[in-house]
Amino acid sequence: MTTPTREELSRRAFLRKCAEQGSATFVFGGMVLTTAMLRLPQEGVPGEPPPKAGKKHPEVIYGFVVDTTKCIGCGSCVRACKAENNVPDGYNRTWVEQYTFYPNGEVVVNSPKGGEDGFSDDFPDSNQPGEIGQRPDRGFFVPKLCNHCIDTPCIQVCPVGASYRTEEGVVLVDAERCIGCGYCVQSCPFGSRYLHPVTKTADKCTWCYHRITKGLKPACVEYCPAKARIFGNVSDPNSEISHILATNRVQVLKSYLGTNPRTRYIGLDSEVI
Amino acid sequence: MHHYVTQGYVLPNQAHLYWTTMIALYPYITGIVAGAFIISSLYHVFDKEELKPVSRFSMLMALAFLLFATVPLLMHLGHPERAFSIMFTPNPTSATAVFGFIYSTYLCILSVEIWLVYRADIAYLSHNARSAPMRALYWVLALGVTEVSDAARRLDRRVMIFLAAIGIPAAVFLHGYVGFLFGAVKADPYWASPLMPVIFILSAIVSGIAMVIVCYTVVQWAKGRAVDMKCTQSLMEYAWYFLIIDVSIEALELVNHAYMANEDWRILRQLIMTRLWTSMFIFQVLLGSVIPLLLFGAVTVFKDRIAAGTRQAIGLIGGLLLLVQVAAMRWNVVIGGQMYSKSLRGFIDFHVDFGGQEGILAVLAVFSLPFLTLFAFSRVLPLWGSLATFPKQWLKDDAADIGAQDH
Amino acid sequence: MGHAKHFVRLFGVLAVVVITFLAVRAQAVPKDYGTLGRFRASAITDAKKREPRHIGSEACSDCHDKINKSWAAGKHHTPQCENCHGPGMLHVKVMSEDSVDAYPDQIKKNPKALRVTSGIQECEWCHFKTFERPSVLKSISNVKEHITKTGGTYTAKSKCTDCHDPHTTVTKK
Repeated sequence: MTTPTREELSRRAFLRKCAEQGSATFVFGGMVLTTAMLRLPQEGVPGEPPPKAGKKHPEVIYGFVVDTTKCIGCGSCVRACKAENNVPDGYNRTWVEQYTFYPNGEVVVNSPKGGEDGFSDDFPDSNQPGEIGQRPDRGFFVPKLCNHCIDTPCIQVCPVGASYRTEEGVVLVDAERCIGCGYCVQSCPFGSRYLHPVTKTADKCTWCYHRITKGLKPACVEYCPAKARIFGNVSDPNSEISHILATNRVQVLKSYLGTNPRTRYIGLDSEVI
Repeated sequence: MHHYVTQGYVLPNQAHLYWTTMIALYPYITGIVAGAFIISSLYHVFDKEELKPVSRFSMLMALAFLLFATVPLLMHLGHPERAFSIMFTPNPTSATAVFGFIYSTYLCILSVEIWLVYRADIAYLSHNARSAPMRALYWVLALGVTEVSDAARRLDRRVMIFLAAIGIPAAVFLHGYVGFLFGAVKADPYWASPLMPVIFILSAIVSGIAMVIVCYTVVQWAKGRAVDMKCTQSLMEYAWYFLIIDVSIEALELVNHAYMANEDWRILRQLIMTRLWTSMFIFQVLLGSVIPLLLFGAVTVFKDRIAAGTRQAIGLIGGLLLLVQVAAMRWNVVIGGQMYSKSLRGFIDFHVDFGGQEGILAVLAVFSLPFLTLFAFSRVLPLWGSLATFPKQWLKDDAADIGAQDH
Repeated sequence: MGHAKHFVRLFGVLAVVVITFLAVRAQAVPKDYGTLGRFRASAITDAKKREPRHIGSEACSDCHDKINKSWAAGKHHTPQCENCHGPGMLHVKVMSEDSVDAYPDQIKKNPKALRVTSGIQECEWCHFKTFERPSVLKSISNVKEHITKTGGTYTAKSKCTDCHDPHTTVTKK
């Protein structure tokens, strides 16, 4: 154990000084850089994967937001969709789910006819309360529709290229080429697809592609009296949907499956699968 | 239409099953192809001499089943007339699109291999068959080359071994792919499992061997011919080995689901314990796995100490039970995987119809087609080996010596 | 190579099969397949073609101007005309005597091609009490109770529209 010499002390001091100065420079530099990056123009669209090298995002990328806190469960969207798209009985391109929570922990989910005739308290379905014999303590409605996933398994599995995505991000089915194998129906984690009983081809929500390409809103959005459905161009930072996506915490269904839905939800409960 | 009853919350578009009996039948048929082909390859590639009596038959069985593997698929397609689109415009990311190419490649390999095995016989028959139309048919089958030199025979043998060698991975791939079709559907947690292709291959081999045992025993008994005990013994031993691995992996898969206990396990457990109880625990496990394991295990262990007649009966019963096991397994996977909703909150009960395009009758009709084809094959080619077994009355009276053509 | 003659012929057969396949494929694949991706490009144009069935409240005002104005001025304008009356495309066609041959069933069942309103069911959709419904709407749970409580006489034929004007929500009487 020798006492440190002057020389050693000064070296230690020198090192300390270096460290202090260095870290100050580092922190300051970092702040400058961060500020600079914040001021850089934002390339790309929030929530969208980056475009391919040398390419830009399309000018129109559609997005959909469902605000479950606003849904009143009137079923207008379902009726509008069914009429607009001539959806066959027993199938739904969009539907509304009714979630009811009971004090004993039981969760009852219900969607009679997809909500086409609305909902009532007297639970027409056989699996519904009465038997539970309690007053519910919590409840809400959740509208569902095709999620138009960015990494969708339905396009992945279609053997003949009958399921495809338009540049605007809408997932569609070419009924002229669909062979009706049903693999896309199986691969959709959300039950959004069905085989049309008449055409014998896969069918699904198109976000009313025939309407949105004419400047109209999808029927379910247009006729939702509660403004629970918001549709628009996420590529346009000034659109209503971009504003909503920027100012809300949104979620997607079954995010763990990695399908990257373009339909996003506000106020999604963990019981909603 | 089949009848469906739903319980709990089922997503609106899932009120019925999209894939029913035909999709369960499809892997059953391709499975038998794979298994029968493995048996014939054990003789042709691995020189398992004891399997010679069934080597040619199992090859033709593989072909007969392969020819009709597409029928259940076509019967269930909404637009069968567009079926060829999967080869015209195949989507490279689609597992289903691969089917057309794997299938046709394998069909080519198998047909050419059978052609080479039978070429000498075909050439002989093109000269010696009794009726002129039959001679013409053999001439066409021989592609007009009706003389088989020793050099040609040696070449054929080399090509045949090569084809059989690439045929094994092709057969395994064809059937592993069927398992992949289900195992890669992440939307259905009951299907989604990397073990699915392995389970499908193993159960395929088991069902193919079982089908060969059953057919061989039944035909020999019916024709009053002796059953080659060495061959049957060997088949039963192979069936036993593959069954052990098959059952273990199937059990592991289920245990893995239960042990991981993901959010889906609650409903999968209910599914298995109620709706699949009979088809899984009675048919697939008890009747189809435990009993054959004991029967074939006894045969493997005690060999000659069990009387030949008893062993033949064991082969027949065990083989039939294995066919039941694999059929139940296909049912439990294909139908079972759709009997609960993706809401994970409800069930769709499935009651199969008797008539209709996907009813029991249609299933039996499709499943009988390979057997009818095998019967048709037996009118043209000697199923069970050399020409010595070919009916004499179909040959010209002055036919050349059969023995000379035998190899 | 005399001993390989049969293989030469076999390859000939295979070649014929492959060439036939390619020839049929060339005919069967749509010309625009693959130009935009692995699908038929004109499928997009086909998908755009379809005529919207909901025409929008503005279009309704072309003929129903008066009621449209009072609806727009009133408190009940979140639901639009077609929310209760159903899609108007066919109705416009029928009324303007356009060809509606493409929709024989709908016209036979319903000559005006609009939903027949009951004056009660349309109200129920939003205004019947449901536990799960956010309490932003005025709602009742029982028509009979509601009518008796507000001093009316309930009959089996009672409708919401007896007292409430659905277009403006103004109470009649």
